[in-house]
Amino acid sequence: MQTRKIPHPGWNLEYLMFLFTRLSGLAFFLLAIIGVMAALLMGARYQMDLGTLMRWTFFPNPNHVLDSDIPDVTFGWDNGFWQIMQFLIIFFGGTHGLNGLRVVLEDYVHRPFWQIVIKLLIFVLWIFMILVAVFVVLGS
Amino acid sequence: MKVTLKIFRYNPETDKKPHYDRFVVEAEATDRILDLLESIKNYQDGTLSYRRSCAHGICGSDAMRINGVNRLACKALVKDVGNKVTVEPILGLPVEKDLIVDMEPFFDHYRSVMPYFVGGEENPKKEQMQSPEDRERFDDTTKCILCAACTTSCPSFWASGEYIGPSAMVNAHRFIFDSRDQAAAERLKILNDQYGVYRCHTIFNCTDACPREIQITKAIGELKKAIVTARLD
Repeated sequence: MQTRKIPHPGWNLEYLMFLFTRLSGLAFFLLAIIGVMAALLMGARYQMDLGTLMRWTFFPNPNHVLDSDIPDVTFGWDNGFWQIMQFLIIFFGGTHGLNGLRVVLEDYVHRPFWQIVIKLLIFVLWIFMILVAVFVVLGS
Repeated sequence: MKVTLKIFRYNPETDKKPHYDRFVVEAEATDRILDLLESIKNYQDGTLSYRRSCAHGICGSDAMRINGVNRLACKALVKDVGNKVTVEPILGLPVEKDLIVDMEPFFDHYRSVMPYFVGGEENPKKEQMQSPEDRERFDDTTKCILCAACTTSCPSFWASGEYIGPSAMVNAHRFIFDSRDQAAAERLKILNDQYGVYRCHTIFNCTDACPREIQITKAIGELKKAIVTARLD
């Protein structure tokens, strides 16, 4: 079958969030690969504790790393690149997850009033999470 | 063998709430559940109500929940479901009587996606040809018999009757991917909605339930892709 082009059916919140969910899912793979490779290069290869490795991978924050048994690796993580990485991981993960909660909400909550209340709570939680993330990332 | 059927009963004129009746029927392993229902209606309880028409898996009238799974009663054999069988109406649509549900909400969604061919010219001078490959593209979704087994097996539809449902999307797919049709963009606009393709959470219940073995979740995925890319591949 020949490919046929059609007019774009239009932009709306559902469309944008559908797209974001797919792209953020892909971004997670990329961020995780970068994180795990850097963690291994910066000392995790001597540390076989999977929990620590995951903590380094998904939240490469100097404070987290200090908590591990590996001494003096703060220097490797303490820079702008890893701060951006931390923020991206939190932003993609939090937004992806909370949007998922919003999408399935109507499968479990049927009264319109409670749907609005819970959607509002999810939005507030999302804003709060982003603000805390900025605070932690910049404050580390 | 003896088969025990536990059947959902509800008569809005006499019952305050639904209940279950048990019937024992002598049957062969190769008998269909529809044969058992016919036997009960003819010899045990003439008030038992259900829809049936062709009895050969084509008309889609007798979709019901058989042992918790949406099936056509005319295609489900005793040997496949065992000798203890629970028969209930399909979920998510209002029960009118016993195994009969109000199909109007289902057909409302079906009608909303323009399930008909929209040609280019009003009075074309010659036949609109289509290659076998182009016809093959939407062959799977032409098989739908509108039995509602897919839509009423979908938790998103149980949760919200506003959801357009898998069956309507299958029928939209049938015309959207037809190379001769001119209304694909309009249909995709209808499906590009909170209660359109985005309420499909890809749990595959519809694909499992389809008595015609249509790859419904795949078809919905193709609709999502068409919306995102604005292309029909």
